[in-house]
Amino acid sequence: MRAIIPDALKLQLRYPARAVGILGALAMAAAVFMPWAYGPGALDNMTLWASPSPLQLFFGVLALLVLALLAIPLVGKPKLGRWAHILAWNTSAKTSAISALAMAGVAAIAIAIELGGVVNLDPGAWVALVGGVLAVTATLFLPDSPPPSLERVKSAKWLQITGIALGMAAVLFGAAYGLGLSDAGAFLTFAAFLVGLVLILRQFGVFDWLSIAAANNRQVLVLSAFTVAFAFPFTQDGSDATMSVAAQVLIFAATALGLNIVVGLVGLLDLGYIAFLGAGAFTAAVLSESAFATIDFHPPFVITVLISGAVASLLGLVIGAPTLRVSGDYLAIVTLAFGEIFRITMNNLDGNDGPNLTHGSNGIPGIPDLSLLGFDFGQPHVILGIDIGRFANYYWLMLLVMGLIIVVFTNLNHSRIGRGWVAIREDELAAEAMGVNTFALKLLAFSGGAFLAGVAGAVKAHYDVSVTPDQYVFLESAFLLAAVVLGGMGTVAGVLIGATILKLLPEKLRFFSDYRLLLFGLLMVVMMRFRPEGIVADERRQLEFHDDSEELADEVEEELIAHHAHLNPDREVFEL
Amino acid sequence: MELFFQQLINGLSLGALYALIAVGYTVVYGIVQLINFAHGEIFMIGAFGAFATWTVMGRPADWPATTALLVLLPLMMIGGMVAAIAVAVATERFAYRPLRGAPRLAPLISAIGVSVFLQELIRLFFGTNPFIPSSSWPVRIPGWPDAKSAVPFPSVTGISGEIISIGGVTIQMPAVFTLGALAICTVFLWYFVNRTKTGRAMVATSQDPDTARLMGINVDRVIVSAFAVGAALAAIAGVAHGLRYGNIDFRMGFLAGLKAFTAAVLGGIGNINGAVVGGLVLGVAEAMATTFIPGQFGSSAWKDVWAFVLLIMVLVFRPQGLLGAKVVDRA
Repeated sequence: MRAIIPDALKLQLRYPARAVGILGALAMAAAVFMPWAYGPGALDNMTLWASPSPLQLFFGVLALLVLALLAIPLVGKPKLGRWAHILAWNTSAKTSAISALAMAGVAAIAIAIELGGVVNLDPGAWVALVGGVLAVTATLFLPDSPPPSLERVKSAKWLQITGIALGMAAVLFGAAYGLGLSDAGAFLTFAAFLVGLVLILRQFGVFDWLSIAAANNRQVLVLSAFTVAFAFPFTQDGSDATMSVAAQVLIFAATALGLNIVVGLVGLLDLGYIAFLGAGAFTAAVLSESAFATIDFHPPFVITVLISGAVASLLGLVIGAPTLRVSGDYLAIVTLAFGEIFRITMNNLDGNDGPNLTHGSNGIPGIPDLSLLGFDFGQPHVILGIDIGRFANYYWLMLLVMGLIIVVFTNLNHSRIGRGWVAIREDELAAEAMGVNTFALKLLAFSGGAFLAGVAGAVKAHYDVSVTPDQYVFLESAFLLAAVVLGGMGTVAGVLIGATILKLLPEKLRFFSDYRLLLFGLLMVVMMRFRPEGIVADERRQLEFHDDSEELADEVEEELIAHHAHLNPDREVFEL
Repeated sequence: MELFFQQLINGLSLGALYALIAVGYTVVYGIVQLINFAHGEIFMIGAFGAFATWTVMGRPADWPATTALLVLLPLMMIGGMVAAIAVAVATERFAYRPLRGAPRLAPLISAIGVSVFLQELIRLFFGTNPFIPSSSWPVRIPGWPDAKSAVPFPSVTGISGEIISIGGVTIQMPAVFTLGALAICTVFLWYFVNRTKTGRAMVATSQDPDTARLMGINVDRVIVSAFAVGAALAAIAGVAHGLRYGNIDFRMGFLAGLKAFTAAVLGGIGNINGAVVGGLVLGVAEAMATTFIPGQFGSSAWKDVWAFVLLIMVLVFRPQGLLGAKVVDRA
């Protein structure tokens, strides 16, 4: 954009542009109170005057942001004081305007498709669109602001904690509201709003500030994140539909986190990871109380989980020991072959082509619900007057498992072992020369990752009620890998986001299911091409992928210095 | 003994199929050290390209053997090759070339994406016309089959369903076709690599890309030609697969690609002769395993497992492969 409109012109036109932009923002704000659609069937009933629907109110938030960002600077620089520099007013206004226009556009398209034609757009939608176009055009003509410096603002501890709490509350609310939307158009419109909001907040520098606040209050962050995740079932009021999706997302995310150790930290491409999940699931199924279980030994679940993990990690050792000695590329193929061996073997152990262990392609059905310490996971409970169904029980259990995996992950990441892993990932030869026992560390990661998958698989077996070999095909491994890649290899937050996106979108966008895999393949190629480090980038990883970018190196260095200045305020200078 | 020779022939013809695909893995790996994960899909697209050519020709059936062998089969093979080469070159251009010099994980992940994408592309769009907007999009092309399930491959008079028997051993004509194709391709490949300028440039690049570049070799073009050669052979394998099994489907590239990669590793990845030998050995091993392993584990349901066990064994005991690789572990 900078290149298209010359700076001189921008400077010349800054007052008329601001006026037009405010006009556009006002139009958008007015559109909130107008009907957008002719019929109530589209989105969330946008047919009424002066009675905005929730989505319209969300749109209003964006409109007001544009208005505020354009109008407040009119008081003049002196009155703004240091806030003139802290926020990137003009650039943020541009982002907000673009986000608002995008949201209005998605809503208009959804209305037109759901009601069958553009005729069904009522004046409100048109006013919003025209206002959006006006605001975007106008903000394009505003001079660019310097980058925001919110992260340099010293803030009190209570403010930081409040910020984290607010962020977490917003996540909880967004998740509960978004999951509750059953209409695909409404979901997409809401998603457009969320993406827009995140982009605007990033433009404000809120995320930089939050990451510093998070680094200063790690316990608060972790605790609040878990509180929010724990509280989520209470927002659903016993609705099983949403909770079953949420539990599935958690199982998927926990497995992806395990894979993240192998791929993200050590850089070993494991394409048969789903087989370890399957090994855990089959072990748990065979040892369960199911009438179809083939081994007459039914230990309590606590034991079963450990056995499942041990079986999976044993398989990891068997596969890893021979292949981890040779070049990394082989590992990818061998694990892929192992995944196939696992699936075929489970198919064949049906009493016909081999000893009967798994009932072949029929699998093991009728696995009873878990019962831990007298708590039956199949029974609904009432807590604080809110129904907690079967899925919510499993959701909480998976939350515990995931918490365990995250603790393992972060502790390992910051330990001697973790540094060894990263060294192996970055340069195996150099790591070996520095005395890192590369083979042992790789084997540890590989079988450790398998153990975690085995544990997740044991829970999954009980959650799914039945275990069949065709749940554990290569495509599932590819999905897990995609979650890790999409979110950001080597990060916890990124993988959680990636797993949520990959599991949630297909659930919400059913009309789309035929093209899901096509887009998924394309997404992986495009991701590798343009943002190989994923949505949430691990800084070191980002440098690895863009090792010729001097600019990025400087940026990361500067960020580290700023970060350190916050952590150690007494030290004046920090040398890298 | 008869059984042994029968299985030897079966194994060799199966192995010839693997060998034709394996060459593509090995050539590309030798030059760019990339496991072209999508190569199995190129094989599948070759088969569908041949099938599409046949459909465009008006689905000729019951041609006399001479015209079928001299006109229909070559045209189908050319159609398959064109499709396979076009897709392979496009893949290289858009998915792999931008990632040259990136960490090794990046192109591998990209290759998985390409693999899934190509499978879905065939599944969704084969026989449908995505360019005509309509309420019931996508629109079907009249007379074109849908690739969402297995598609019967056209039969070629003189090959499909014919058998010859020598002694007590019966040999199916598609098997003869596969072995013959492998023989011709091997000769062609030998000539191409050792006698043509592009082939020698390929060898030079695989030995040392930087020096090759200094010597005035256009490395980009060499890489493209490596992809193209691999794709052409994979397309021939695709036609052979169609003739052998009588139908093709969009999923067939996955397992075939995996087996062919096993063959390439078995022979020593990066070594073209090794790929041919490795393919034949793998095919024979698979055929023998289903016959001579006693008990339940000798049933054909386990043959894929034995092939992959062989892969793991080779990596343990002889990671450089049977013939020794020219480039191994340069990472």
